[in-house]
Amino acid sequence: MKNITLMLNGKKETIYFEEGDTLLYVLRDRIGLMGTKFGCGYGACGACTVVINGEAVRSCKVLFKTLEGADILTIEGLTEGKKLHPIQQAFVDANAVQCGFCTPGIVMELYALFSKEPDASDDRIKEVLSKHLCRCTGYESIFTAAKLVQKTESYSKQDKKDFERAAKLAREYIKE
Amino acid sequence: MGFKHIGKDVQYRPDVLERVTGEAIFIDDIKLPGMLYAQILRPKYAHAKILSIDTVEAEKMPGVYKVITGKGWEKHYGDCIKDMMPMVVDKVRHIGDALAAVVADTEKHARDALKKIRVEYEPFPVCTDAMEAIKENAYLIHENSDEYFHVSPLYEPIPKTNIAVHYRIKKGDAVKGFKEADVVVEREFNFPLMSSAAIEVHGAIALFRMDDTIEIWTSNVGAFAVREEVANLFDLPISDVRVHMPYIGGCFGYKSDPSLGPLIAYIASFVPGHPIKLRVSRQEDFTSTFLGRGIRTKMKIGAKKDGTFTAMEAKLYLSTGAYADTGSNVLIVATQSAGGVYEFSNADVTGYSVYTNTPPVGALRAYGHPEIQFALERLVDIVARELDMSPTDVRKKNFLSVGKSNVVGETMKKSDGDLYKCIDNVERAIFSKERPEEDENYYYGRGIAGLIKSPKAPTFAAKGCHIKFNVDGSVSVNMSGADVGQGLFVLVRQITAEALKMPLEKVRVYNEIDTQFSPWEWQTVGSMFTFQGGNAIIKAANKAIEMLKKNAALVLHRDVNVLEYDGNYVYDRSYPDVKVLVSRICRGYIMKDGTTIGDVVQVSSDFRLPGAQNPDPETGMGRTGVSYTMGVQGCELRIEKKTGKVIIDNFATSIDIGRVINPSNARGQVVGGVVMSIGETLMEEIKFDKNGKLINANLLQYKLPTIYDMPGKQTIEFVETHDEIGPFGARGIGEHPMVGVAPAILNAIYDAIGYDFYEIPVTPDKIKAVIGGDTEAR
Repeated sequence: MKNITLMLNGKKETIYFEEGDTLLYVLRDRIGLMGTKFGCGYGACGACTVVINGEAVRSCKVLFKTLEGADILTIEGLTEGKKLHPIQQAFVDANAVQCGFCTPGIVMELYALFSKEPDASDDRIKEVLSKHLCRCTGYESIFTAAKLVQKTESYSKQDKKDFERAAKLAREYIKE
Repeated sequence: MGFKHIGKDVQYRPDVLERVTGEAIFIDDIKLPGMLYAQILRPKYAHAKILSIDTVEAEKMPGVYKVITGKGWEKHYGDCIKDMMPMVVDKVRHIGDALAAVVADTEKHARDALKKIRVEYEPFPVCTDAMEAIKENAYLIHENSDEYFHVSPLYEPIPKTNIAVHYRIKKGDAVKGFKEADVVVEREFNFPLMSSAAIEVHGAIALFRMDDTIEIWTSNVGAFAVREEVANLFDLPISDVRVHMPYIGGCFGYKSDPSLGPLIAYIASFVPGHPIKLRVSRQEDFTSTFLGRGIRTKMKIGAKKDGTFTAMEAKLYLSTGAYADTGSNVLIVATQSAGGVYEFSNADVTGYSVYTNTPPVGALRAYGHPEIQFALERLVDIVARELDMSPTDVRKKNFLSVGKSNVVGETMKKSDGDLYKCIDNVERAIFSKERPEEDENYYYGRGIAGLIKSPKAPTFAAKGCHIKFNVDGSVSVNMSGADVGQGLFVLVRQITAEALKMPLEKVRVYNEIDTQFSPWEWQTVGSMFTFQGGNAIIKAANKAIEMLKKNAALVLHRDVNVLEYDGNYVYDRSYPDVKVLVSRICRGYIMKDGTTIGDVVQVSSDFRLPGAQNPDPETGMGRTGVSYTMGVQGCELRIEKKTGKVIIDNFATSIDIGRVINPSNARGQVVGGVVMSIGETLMEEIKFDKNGKLINANLLQYKLPTIYDMPGKQTIEFVETHDEIGPFGARGIGEHPMVGVAPAILNAIYDAIGYDFYEIPVTPDKIKAVIGGDTEAR
């Protein structure tokens, strides 16, 4: 077994792996971070999306050995204690989660997008979301959640227990 | 009636935090001590005799514990027709059959060893379509199909043919009906094979314990069905098999029938003491679980000049795949649904479920309904054209309503739905403005279709509910309904809180389903959880309230009949100050000296579809649906001249579902269902080569809808005619939005370009071929 050192969810880690391991395999089967999902194994569904050096990447297509010194963020790195990340909160508020299997990948995709382009246009949001398959929602609520993140600038500061208010915002947005 | 929780957008689902943080445990996230991995060898041919399987080299590979074949196994399994085996023995019948399995310390080692297994075959002719397989001289896929155990008289294979099930409905006199008609129209339609294609692939783990009990974890919404199938397979008492249901990453039908359960149990039986995990590849998810749809229909309708339908005749041919146990139910449901939302006094409908060399057909969201209503709703549009009537008028003329009888002879009730309100809603959304005229870039079209859906489960199918009061007055609810994302857990919470007059926070819904602890339920299928599960909750809640009152009667020295319950207290109706806290009496009442009186308040209840019956063997008719839900869908679309691409600007759905329990989740089901069905209509199709190999069993070529395929907007309006049986007047909605989408879109395509498509998916290429450079296309 070989090892490399990298940043994983904000911590410096030395991780052992075998030659042909993909990042997805290492995350799930060697480290036990199960939030990143396997959907196809060839980058068609987006369920395994994580953020590497600020970019949303399909972890099933990345060989782990290429990641020396990389900065990797997975869904497990988004939540601080009991506090949801604003993107996750928007997904809750917009009722954009159904089975939840595609959700971590999509949340990570939007994290990468909004980190660089907080004011991304609707077309741009759709462009990045088009790399993800969701069989449940029909995408409407996911798009609404993405817009909700943008719409509520002070979103991260608001009281997260105020679900009614946030839900109202989501409903108003849907009506528009 | 004023509700506290029903009809409210309780968006905070109890399971949502786990799902949005990635903490939810799905099957592939489970690792157990001592766990080994299985991989399955799939055949090179879709139809062949197995001459030999040589596993010697594979057994020598690194990490390999065991190589397993079906050799020596004799027992078949299945619910209605026992035509399946956990692993094939002497013959492969489709490209996804299980030939052999390797159990190894890692998935990779198991996969590597598979390559070393040598198989000799004698290939047979391959047949992938019912129309071929039903021919007299067709090669038999099961030589002795009539010898399999089958539930008579509904599931009756015809000996020495590939016909597994045939089912006929005869209502009135169709021959006479067609004689009375002024117009008779007949067409042939095809709804091809498709996949549920959830984003989570199937997986299962099985552990054979030393005491011959079996423990299974599986991504299947029918934990109890898996338990029974596996127990029967190994001749064990059902109570010796325990099945866990983790979170499920989308079901859409194909995770409802036991798919991997019997296979993984068979494999694990060779390696007792080790949990054996099998997570299939995306390719196997297509080839080796269940496909859906696959029905060709010839349909004929007769109508009078004023639009009244006089007769309908239809023949349905299901390519049921290599095993007919699950597909035959799809065929039966499709046959029973042939009349759709219309009254036909005379009907003659025959369905055939035909063995083919394709993966078996099983459930796919709303199974049986979209297939046949695709044919019917397209044909109704053509009838309207022949009569020079508008598509809406001809529909209104023939709609089912109170007192009319559907094709199986059931008399419609008020609560089956108000189609006239539904069609008004859709007309307002789609037809209130003039259709734009064709311009430089686009053709414009609008279309409409009716939909009907009934539960279609065995007559005994039920849901169970356990309610337990805790000493602080909070309540635990234990049910076996799978929350596959539809919001089942929050629905349980809402109905329980309403029935027990409590705040939501005091109701905790168990989110782990385990046949050892959970109440029996058949399967979470047929959009029936709201209806059956909701009623089971109300029955259990009422039992609990009665027990609380009995306990209170002992404490307050009052007759039970004068007591009331308000969620916090039980009190005397006339003297409200005479009261006792629920939390003080829910485990009996403890008196000062410690003596405890009364009973512990924990109750069990269940609910099934009242009065459901098997059809009459002679006429095919009977109380087979019991609870119907009807509605109308319609759309406005554009067809891009340059590309042939269909752009749906507005898709409208109006369904009478009785009381809406959770508006946001109900809308979510419709929005998602419509988009899934747009996929079926415009892009999805399982394709085979001539050897029966699936040529697009992957997510790159089998196209699922993306965000670019969602309609410009979806207009959704529920009509809420109170259901006389449903909990607080409610019924389900999970599958219904799938039913009318394909015909609504194809009717709109006709409206746009004047061309009738009879087959889906209608891809841009097919439209291009029609509109081509031909300016006279319209």
